[in-house]
Amino acid sequence: MSDKQIPEVIILPCSGIGKAFGSVGREAAYVVTEELRPGQARTLCLSSLTLGDEEAKRRVRRQPTIAIDGCPKTCARINIEQAGAEPAATFRVFDVFRQHKELKVRHVSDIGEAGEKMARILAEEIAQKVDELQRKERKSDA
Amino acid sequence: MPDLSQKKVGIIACSGEELPCGTVTREAALLVLERLRPQETVTLCLPLFLAGEERERAFARFFPTIAVDGCEKRCAARATALYSAEPAASIVVDELREQLGLEAPQRIRGPEEARRTLVAATAAAVAQEVGRLLGKREMATEEIAAGIDVLSEGAAVCSCMSGIPVERLEVNGETLELIALPTIFELLSQQGQHPDDGATAHALLEHTRIYNAVPGENEDALRQALLLAYREYCAERAGAERR
Repeated sequence: MSDKQIPEVIILPCSGIGKAFGSVGREAAYVVTEELRPGQARTLCLSSLTLGDEEAKRRVRRQPTIAIDGCPKTCARINIEQAGAEPAATFRVFDVFRQHKELKVRHVSDIGEAGEKMARILAEEIAQKVDELQRKERKSDA
Repeated sequence: MPDLSQKKVGIIACSGEELPCGTVTREAALLVLERLRPQETVTLCLPLFLAGEERERAFARFFPTIAVDGCEKRCAARATALYSAEPAASIVVDELREQLGLEAPQRIRGPEEARRTLVAATAAAVAQEVGRLLGKREMATEEIAAGIDVLSEGAAVCSCMSGIPVERLEVNGETLELIALPTIFELLSQQGQHPDDGATAHALLEHTRIYNAVPGENEDALRQALLLAYREYCAERAGAERR
């Protein structure tokens, strides 16, 4: 199979509207899909999965999906599972914070410079996982 | 729904990660929560309706809710109705944009004039809707503009784990977690409902039923447990007033 046929990896951040780590997760998802791995990864509206939209459910069942969660409620992961899929990987913003406690995220609506840094660190890790998942897909197609 | 839920309005944004108008819903909701109506609004992450517990699913039963959606799929409005209760109002950003003749935003993140304008218009519409639901005066255009332009110290906090008061009662040897019970007690007490009044037990059960699933086989036992807890609440309150 050519590279063209390798499915894009779905990056699904939680909505995290009241949590600064939710905003960091969302930013990380955009850094991956727009800057680090455009064309290889894209995001999906989590709300459509929550609603049970058939097209959204089909996508997470067919394509490798990475969950990013900003709080212990792990909404992204659980919504993927409720759609009948298994996340290919899960990331928690808090784990990045544990490794980089010097990065103090400012606020939910403005994560500040430290939040941007944290998002970029997380995005680099996710991009590596995207590569790994796509290598697996290529191997299984060979 | 009784008056006790009219103190704050819940805002549920679709947050639509894939679409620029999804970002608009999120940014507009945060503007309302932090700057325009900080004392009168609360929020909850939409996916918590599926991932959370009963207390999260009670959100729209407890708070009159405004669903803010980015597109015609109306995920926020429909999921809120599906899992919790019909939203009191629904705003679709794309429709609002067309009504106002505004330019469509193209970017999901980063600075963009078209998105900024649409966020301000959406936030203004939501803030006015909040006022309408709470029976408050309409905000003046200048007031909204000032709220949007001036940075506030306020921070939006979602209601997971903290927003809705809960109390546990022992009923038939089982512990029931009852949503809104402290607020129901407060309301009935303010209305002068005495624990010895014959209608009190019925009123307690009916108010409790609005926010909680009450299994039929537990109804009588729950009515008694509610009355007992309410009696204790009234006694404590009377003691506190005497002190």
